Amino acid sequence: MSTDVRTQTEVAGPGELKPPTSKSSRNKKVSFSGLTMMKWLVYAFFLVFLIVPLLSILLVSITGEPINIFGSFTNAKIFNSTMEKLSNMSFEAYRTMFESGGSYFGALVNSLKLSTGVALLVTIMVLPIAYAFARTTMPFKALFAAICTIPLVMPTFISSYAFTLMFGKTGWVNHIYRAFGGEGVLFDVQSMLGIVLVQVFFFFPYALWPMVAAFKISDLTLEEASQNLGARSWYTFGRVTLPLAMPGLVSSMLLIFTVSFSDFGTPIILAPKDLSLIVVEAYRELSGFFNWAGSAVLTIVMLIVAAFFFWLQRLVVKGKEYGTISGKPTKQKLNDSKAVTTTLSIYSFLIVLVPLLAVGSIFLSSIATTWGMHALPDGYTLKHYALIFSSSSKNIINSMILAIGSLVLSVVIAIFVSYFVVRRNSGALDFISSIPLIVPGIALGIALIQTFNTAPIQLTGTATILIIAYTIRRMPYMIRSTMSSMMAIRKDIEEAAISLGASQLVAAITVIGPLLLPGIAAGGILVFVTVIKEASISILLAPSDWAPMSLAVFQNLLRGEYYTASAMAILIIFIVVVLQYLAKKLTKDQLY
Amino acid sequence: MGSVLVKNLHKQFSGVTALEDVNLEIREGEFFALLGPSGCGKTTTMRCIAGFETPTSGNIYIGDREVSKVPANQRNCGMVFQSYALFPHLTVAENVAYSLNIRRYEQGGIGSKLGVLAHMLNRRLGKMPKDVEQKVRDSLDFVELGHLADRLPGQLSGGQQQRVALARALIMEPAVLLMDEPLSNLDKKLRNSMRVTIRQIQQKIGITTIFVTHDQEEAMSMADRVAVMEGGKLVQVDTPTNLYSRPVSRFVADFVGSSNIYKGFVKNQGTEKGTLIQLSDQQLLYSAFDTTKSEVEIIIRPESIQLYEAGKEPEETGLLDGTITMSTYMGPSIRYDVQVGNLAFEVDKTYEGGMPLLSPGTSVKLAIEPERVVIL
Repeated sequence: MSTDVRTQTEVAGPGELKPPTSKSSRNKKVSFSGLTMMKWLVYAFFLVFLIVPLLSILLVSITGEPINIFGSFTNAKIFNSTMEKLSNMSFEAYRTMFESGGSYFGALVNSLKLSTGVALLVTIMVLPIAYAFARTTMPFKALFAAICTIPLVMPTFISSYAFTLMFGKTGWVNHIYRAFGGEGVLFDVQSMLGIVLVQVFFFFPYALWPMVAAFKISDLTLEEASQNLGARSWYTFGRVTLPLAMPGLVSSMLLIFTVSFSDFGTPIILAPKDLSLIVVEAYRELSGFFNWAGSAVLTIVMLIVAAFFFWLQRLVVKGKEYGTISGKPTKQKLNDSKAVTTTLSIYSFLIVLVPLLAVGSIFLSSIATTWGMHALPDGYTLKHYALIFSSSSKNIINSMILAIGSLVLSVVIAIFVSYFVVRRNSGALDFISSIPLIVPGIALGIALIQTFNTAPIQLTGTATILIIAYTIRRMPYMIRSTMSSMMAIRKDIEEAAISLGASQLVAAITVIGPLLLPGIAAGGILVFVTVIKEASISILLAPSDWAPMSLAVFQNLLRGEYYTASAMAILIIFIVVVLQYLAKKLTKDQLY
Repeated sequence: MGSVLVKNLHKQFSGVTALEDVNLEIREGEFFALLGPSGCGKTTTMRCIAGFETPTSGNIYIGDREVSKVPANQRNCGMVFQSYALFPHLTVAENVAYSLNIRRYEQGGIGSKLGVLAHMLNRRLGKMPKDVEQKVRDSLDFVELGHLADRLPGQLSGGQQQRVALARALIMEPAVLLMDEPLSNLDKKLRNSMRVTIRQIQQKIGITTIFVTHDQEEAMSMADRVAVMEGGKLVQVDTPTNLYSRPVSRFVADFVGSSNIYKGFVKNQGTEKGTLIQLSDQQLLYSAFDTTKSEVEIIIRPESIQLYEAGKEPEETGLLDGTITMSTYMGPSIRYDVQVGNLAFEVDKTYEGGMPLLSPGTSVKLAIEPERVVIL
């Protein structure tokens, strides 16, 4: 640089250079402490609304009396009584549960039986379909795949209701059954068998896609080697293909187990009085008898079982991931034997037909004048829809408000959690935010009710606690969604914008924001969907002022207003389908 | 355009020292390479200059401006990232126009600020001013990518992305161009041609360029001067030729090419042929360089050793007797592994057509000029 320029800069230097310097360091400090504060707020949220409630319910289960943790810190009297209760703690409740073979123990055994049965049945039933998708040229793959999304968009209590429409005493299937000379009913839908069947037919897609992936992994060259060594194709399947896919199969079996174990919607509709299941028992102890101690014990047992199987599933998946790293994605030869593909095609069709008919049944019921005397409705009308839009419009609005509230809360928390986990390596936050994965909805609900029942933080019966509960429940999925789009944005993209002259804020608006948006939007929509679908939290926590659509369906069913329930159910399914399609489209467009 | 001065730069990451007393003086218009193995501090040095890391202590001047406390976005450093870091949601033209738009944003009033932001978020909102558009077109033509202006970065090849990144950094007319391993993601052939392209562009514009690389060939072939770093410290700053022929340490010697390195004792200082050194097995060598130490390390580049078949050597004293243990044909040259007493020598001999390879076991004589025996 020439001397002229130097003097110029020197003259201008001190005055011009200093302000940006001090300003920038001030900015940095502010944003730093602002972020740190945000981090503590996020921690506080999880502490207050997740950790403390779970802890509280644990304390209740060993003291046998309700505990007011927050009260203990604000009020000396409550503190003293809490201490007194704690001094009386014992594992008596747990001991009697396992010793006497009493009703709780029976409930646990029944639940374990149910989940094991469902997990085994689903795995066996899905095996041929998964194989067909992964390794054959089965026709109508795309169609079947599309139908397989139906079970996922249906809340289980609606599926269960659909089953009573089909297999109940006046169900159309039984009408046909009797027309062909059958006696009474095909089977009693209000039974363990009914619950098993609903869960099998509505949870199988959770296992299908992981299993398809598992079949795709197994190395073709090994199979060819087996055939080359003279093995017949069925022998190859049994000794090579299947064992290679085994970790994937086991992992999806465990997943189904957990899903079935935590499911509340099916048992609450279909469990007969004499069949006690742990989720239903916990719900009845609380909402029927206000038995804090009993529901607490059941909640803790539920949590332990769910956590154990979740951990087991992670363990299996871990091994599997290790295997896929070494396996190159080879192009696989697909089985195109006409006999095989036709058989598999018919089989798959029969399986996916069941959920399809279930939706159809609900739809028919929603436009029926009356239905039950014959296989088909006696007449058709739209008055049920008119009714829900007039008399139940409050529920629809409630659902929308609750869903939007949860969406906003989830998006804000998820963005910060993802930021701290991805950019600041906060492992602790990653762990805490994934705890809800193992907490069954009913368990979370009970814990929240117990903790926020009285002052100083009395939230039970408010919309706030509902929104918080929905948010926490969906949080791990929401975070995963934002986290993956945040991880896709490498740090140097942000740095590139800054080196080109953009400030942090402008870089965030023009580069980070547009790149992050699709992931956040998709995650947000799925939160919305969860709120619309959620049964356990809504049934347990929602006050009548704030009853969402799902609770309205439930109450209509209890009151015997079946047609209105059907119309509302169809509306829920419709909203869920539209939103999930939107979310999927958003994540697809994200691939640049 | 500007020179870059780095004074007593220290950087610690949570107690671990990443840079220790780094001093650099990069002249205006110079192509300067920072060379070293991974973790040596070369990238940290560059990031301190760019403003992405704050030095623990020390000063950085770009031109005459002390910048160590200036935010990265006000340093006017163009940067080409290892991964190119193109904005995947913006077209090639929008990527290149980014800094111009930012400039318009910074200089405009609140209304035009919002207008520019809206345009950057969605190209259909508002228009690029004519002069910006023209500048972007010129800049893309300059890197021969004018025809791809409306593509998204994901639709370009690696080499094309590289040139977009270069155009995007150059259009802001930065004081310094910083390049962080820009060629490491390209295949070998493309890498060689990009080397030439980058060097040509740099020469044409005359921009001060700092180039970080772990590839000695890249550094030596492109840069005016190279700084070799090891363990957070500068080891040697020199021209490529000096770096090769006069490395200051075993590390540099090793890093910038293969070499024979031996320990020896100084037997005699200041003879007419230089310093006489005795190697471990009684062999004697003259070096043209002086030393004050009595125990030294010497390095000899494989191609600076003359190899003669025994009996065909010229009349000369001080030749070393050896036996070939392996001969490897390498295309333009032949590598002979020669055992001299208990020392192993690597010798490169230019391959001249029709010349037969000497087979292992052949007795040979080695001649080494004192100028080629470097004392560390």
